[in-house]
Amino acid sequence: MMNGKISADSGAGLSRRTLIVGAAAIFGGGWMITGLTGCAPAGALAAAPGSTQLSFWHLLTGGDGIKMSALVDGANADSSSFFAKQTILTWGTPYYTKLAMASAGGRAPDVAIMHASRLPGYAPGGLLDEWDLERLAQHGVTEANFPAAIWNSGFSGGKLYAIALDAHPFILMYNTDIAREAGVLGANGQLEVMTTPAQFIEVARKMQAVTGRRGLSYGYLGDGAQMWRLFYTFYRQLGATMTLEPGKPAQVNEDAGTTALEFMQELLDGTIATAAGDYATALAEFVNGESGLFLTGVWELPTMQTAGLSFDAMPIPNLFGAPATYADSHTFVLPRQANLDPVAREDVYAFVADILKSSLAWAEAGHIPAYLPVVDSVAYQELVPQAHYANAVEHLNYDPQAWFSGSGSDFQTFFAESLQSVLLDKTDARAGFQAFVRRLNVLLSKPNPVG
Amino acid sequence: MTTTLTNHAPNHAPKKVAVTPTARPGGPASRKRGENLTGWMFIGPFMVFFILFLVVPIVWGLYLSFTGQTLTGRGGGLVGFANYQEALVDPDMWRSMGNTLWFVLISTVPLVLIALAMAVLVNLGLPGQWLWRLSYFMPYLLASSVVSLFWVWMFNPQLGLINAMTGLFGAEPIAWLQDPKYAMLGIVIATVWWTVGFNFLLYLAALQNIPEQQYEAAALDGAGKWRQLVSITIPNLAPTTVLILILQILASLKVFDQIYQMTAGGPGGTTRSAVQYIFEVGFTGYRFGYSSAISYIFFALIVIISIAQFAVASRKGLKK
Repeated sequence: MMNGKISADSGAGLSRRTLIVGAAAIFGGGWMITGLTGCAPAGALAAAPGSTQLSFWHLLTGGDGIKMSALVDGANADSSSFFAKQTILTWGTPYYTKLAMASAGGRAPDVAIMHASRLPGYAPGGLLDEWDLERLAQHGVTEANFPAAIWNSGFSGGKLYAIALDAHPFILMYNTDIAREAGVLGANGQLEVMTTPAQFIEVARKMQAVTGRRGLSYGYLGDGAQMWRLFYTFYRQLGATMTLEPGKPAQVNEDAGTTALEFMQELLDGTIATAAGDYATALAEFVNGESGLFLTGVWELPTMQTAGLSFDAMPIPNLFGAPATYADSHTFVLPRQANLDPVAREDVYAFVADILKSSLAWAEAGHIPAYLPVVDSVAYQELVPQAHYANAVEHLNYDPQAWFSGSGSDFQTFFAESLQSVLLDKTDARAGFQAFVRRLNVLLSKPNPVG
Repeated sequence: MTTTLTNHAPNHAPKKVAVTPTARPGGPASRKRGENLTGWMFIGPFMVFFILFLVVPIVWGLYLSFTGQTLTGRGGGLVGFANYQEALVDPDMWRSMGNTLWFVLISTVPLVLIALAMAVLVNLGLPGQWLWRLSYFMPYLLASSVVSLFWVWMFNPQLGLINAMTGLFGAEPIAWLQDPKYAMLGIVIATVWWTVGFNFLLYLAALQNIPEQQYEAAALDGAGKWRQLVSITIPNLAPTTVLILILQILASLKVFDQIYQMTAGGPGGTTRSAVQYIFEVGFTGYRFGYSSAISYIFFALIVIISIAQFAVASRKGLKK
């Protein structure tokens, strides 16, 4: 390549220079290209000039994310005054840490999705702004539009911080083909009414006899949220409560906790349900027809529909006397901003009202809409199987309130740490529950960082 | 390309000559000052970042560790040593420190031994050297998120390749990342696969620096391949081994990414590392002050380990 000494010597410097210039050109070009492609979709979607840009953060991905995108696009199309732009972050800790940091720094989004159960960790710390009832009413959103339990879940310290979009309870899905073969369907084509633990186990066993694999699918391994959802359902059905007040020991019902855990152990015997199943395994098992019953959240409904399964759904049957089911809600909150733009705030009210009113589309993702005019509509009543578990709304149970509890919180992690061995290795249920309560007491004894 | 070089060469060659003399008019003192200034200009940009993003946070963190500061801005007052007192009796902190040390131990040993074995094998002169070098080093270039996703699939209890392979030998499927008994092992396997290439490269470079004459002399004296490995190769690699150990222990002590992404510290906290606990206390538990105190305790632990390491390494050096 190098011909003579002179050209080689000076060539080294030159080629380096050429290289740098070349690299600059390439990077420069790269910038331009990304700049162009980066702008193109935004330009195409942006609303009329002069509209306010709203930043909207949420944690909805998968089927939920697609539905939410459609709702946002719809709201943007309906309004000429604002254009909402979504920022989607990973569910759980990654989302909530960033939301808290953004609010603490005063540069939060204009509106965000938050689980109702997470409010106690945000509202008292001044990370959220209150909703103005009058302004909501101007946009056709009032207390009368919501079931009381859902509306009340948006309050913290007597102030309204969250407007619920939905309720998403833990429910029971069942494979109708397997149920029919097992002879456990009632006259109306739905699963027969079960009122005792023994009855539930009997139905599961009959289904197991049909599938030859399992009767029930329930994934919990390494997943505190899943363990908590089922546990709290049974715990509340036993009529027990859990009160977490900083500075005091947790007020719990140890007998009920033990009973609930022992019943879960009974289900996870390797025949009724697999003893060591994680979320994905349970899902795959039910989708492949290897089990007849599936304990899961409403959000898995689209998965079943996509799989083309013949299935139905119902609230988790009341096995212990008091009808109850674990649930949480996706809500809209106003994160605290250092420099509040009143125009943007006004637009947020319009944006949220628009999404609530079109939340029939959200019901297609399995969630029960919070906005009653949608729930009462004929279109929703005809939506099956959604309509078959809509009455779960009557017995919703949100997490016990504490700054550390809620969906995707440390509380659920601690629950898993104390109780996975109870479910997996069938260690003593009472001792496991006591370990969990001790853990809670440590947290309660520490100063409340937000209160 | 050759034409371009030759064409431009004459234009620039004289410039170089012209520049050099003008730089030397002043006396030695001013030249020194000039050089100092140049030096500062070179390190200036780095110093700005160093002070802004390392020195300031370190000092600020030390201050925070004596306050009750929370993420919401509450409790900023000084609380003395309360955070440290709480941390020293916090079983979760000790458990996470223990997990980190356990990870250091069971990851460093294979990361050194496997790297050495791979380097020695490649250095035997196998055909297709570049392919071996490339394939051993390639994983190191991947981002931690890619590695984590990849191994989460590999370890999947039902669909994963690892269980499919062990299943061929009749082994029961293992829930690698969900079972407390295997979770840390799974993390270590993924980490070794990911980072062993760097150590491998250091060893390979060192191997190629060992003078060939030593092997020839040993061969003349009748030393077999194994004797040569033990008496020539490994002693000659000692400085590299010390370097790798130091780098590896420091890298393993700060383990966070792959654990957070593969198990999030679970199951039951069996893989929660010290850095992750610091993150959790500060960012999901909101307690910045307490989190800072734990950071400083962890820092003290690292200093102790480093001193011990330095002592061992320098004693080795003295023997030589």
